[in-house]
Amino acid sequence: MTTTGQVGARRRLRVDPVACDGVGMCAHLATALVRLDSWGYPMVPDRDLEDAELGAAGKAVAGCPRRALELR
Amino acid sequence: MTSRPAAPRRTDADRAPATRPLPLLTDPVRVPLTGLGHGLAAQDLATHLATYGPHRAIDDLLTAVDEIGLTGQGGGHFPVAAKWRTVRESATRSGRAPLVVANGAEGEPASAKDQLLLATRPHLVLDGLAETAAAVGADETVLWLHGDAHLLHVAVHRAVAERRAAGLREPRVRVVSAPAHYLAGESGAVVRGLSGGPALPMTRRVPAAVEGVDGRPTLVHNVETLARTALLARTGAEAHRATALVTVVADGSRTVLEVDARAPVRVALLLAGWPVDVEPAAVLLGGYGGSWLPWDRAAHLELSPGALRAAGTSMGAGVLAPLPAGACGVAETARLTAYLAGSSARQCGPCVFGLAALADVLERLRTGDARRSDVERLRRWTGEIDGRGACHHPDGAVRMVRSALVTFARDVDAHRRHRPCGAAHAEALLPVPAGS
Repeated sequence: MTTTGQVGARRRLRVDPVACDGVGMCAHLATALVRLDSWGYPMVPDRDLEDAELGAAGKAVAGCPRRALELR
Repeated sequence: MTSRPAAPRRTDADRAPATRPLPLLTDPVRVPLTGLGHGLAAQDLATHLATYGPHRAIDDLLTAVDEIGLTGQGGGHFPVAAKWRTVRESATRSGRAPLVVANGAEGEPASAKDQLLLATRPHLVLDGLAETAAAVGADETVLWLHGDAHLLHVAVHRAVAERRAAGLREPRVRVVSAPAHYLAGESGAVVRGLSGGPALPMTRRVPAAVEGVDGRPTLVHNVETLARTALLARTGAEAHRATALVTVVADGSRTVLEVDARAPVRVALLLAGWPVDVEPAAVLLGGYGGSWLPWDRAAHLELSPGALRAAGTSMGAGVLAPLPAGACGVAETARLTAYLAGSSARQCGPCVFGLAALADVLERLRTGDARRSDVERLRRWTGEIDGRGACHHPDGAVRMVRSALVTFARDVDAHRRHRPCGAAHAEALLPVPAGS
């Protein structure tokens, strides 16, 4: 079992699709991780993130005006 | 059946397991395309006991449920035993009292099996509810029904009153009216509605069996699952016979029937009255969020969950809808997609916008007005929508559209070349409720 914040902990970017309004801030803040679909809603990688990706992912989570992104 | 040793607490001689399999339904029942029509009567308690025999006969219901591989009959087909174990463990760990919900809000417009069970066999469902509550240690149960299902409310309230008058010792059943809309029977919507919120699907981090209604470990079981549990409690796993309860939509009506799980699709259609010398073009299997299969693939496909899984499909909510030769699969698909788009809970972008986009393009395709890239666009969009809602509603729509693009490939191509078939403007064959 991994603990939140632990180095090398497996973490995944998740969208709460009910909370998400397709504002699109996440795609600006984490260009390499978040792609917008045909209607402007974020598509995130369906895998654990690499350590090098956690910084951008954290910015996208913090920058979401709907609090619809999560890193866990 | 004297081979199994008597359990110490049992004294009733009539509690020996039934020696033969018990049927859910005796004969096929034909009902209209919407509602149940008139003339159906609920079994009263005396008839119920005379038909199915009294009480529970086996001690370890969980093991029996596991042994026969009972799965959820609402469409998800998740193993029931696994859910029960999770509820038991979560209740022990959290100290919260578990809750069992009988989900009778049948949303699938083509399916009538759950309504029919509640209207004609309410005691079987209530037996299953009580058995399940006992198996997971719940002392409270809920029966969740569409608010506009008046016939079912009457049947259920009568049955509950009969049981109380007969002094049956079982947890209190709270009958709850859910909104009439399509997704009110989605399990997340059930949990959210019973927790005081709107009866709409929700984003879930943990399963309801861990944390459900008001944080309590919650079992939400489809009413057919509960009826099957009640039969199993009587027969035991040894005398269990695997069957499927299906709704065949054909010829302007629906027929609910129970068939052997090893029976192929073709036999189920014949038993429902489909003419033996007529071959349909395709079959919609599962429900509106199910799959179209060409007849040559569907005809000999067994209805057992394993056989269907191996064929890349699922029994879903048990709907079998044959498309007659000469009917337009593109037109049916367009109408069903428009219905599914209109039934969205309007919470998740990919569902709200994606399903509407699919429906628009399919409507253009139906009328022969599609653009050159429209089929390619449908394929791309289905990939973008799949798995991105809080519930599986959009996934079902995507599955149905994808299967149509394959099964009706030739018709899709003709429609795209602005040559829709003659049947494209004919009346819809599959029931699509108005006003959604």
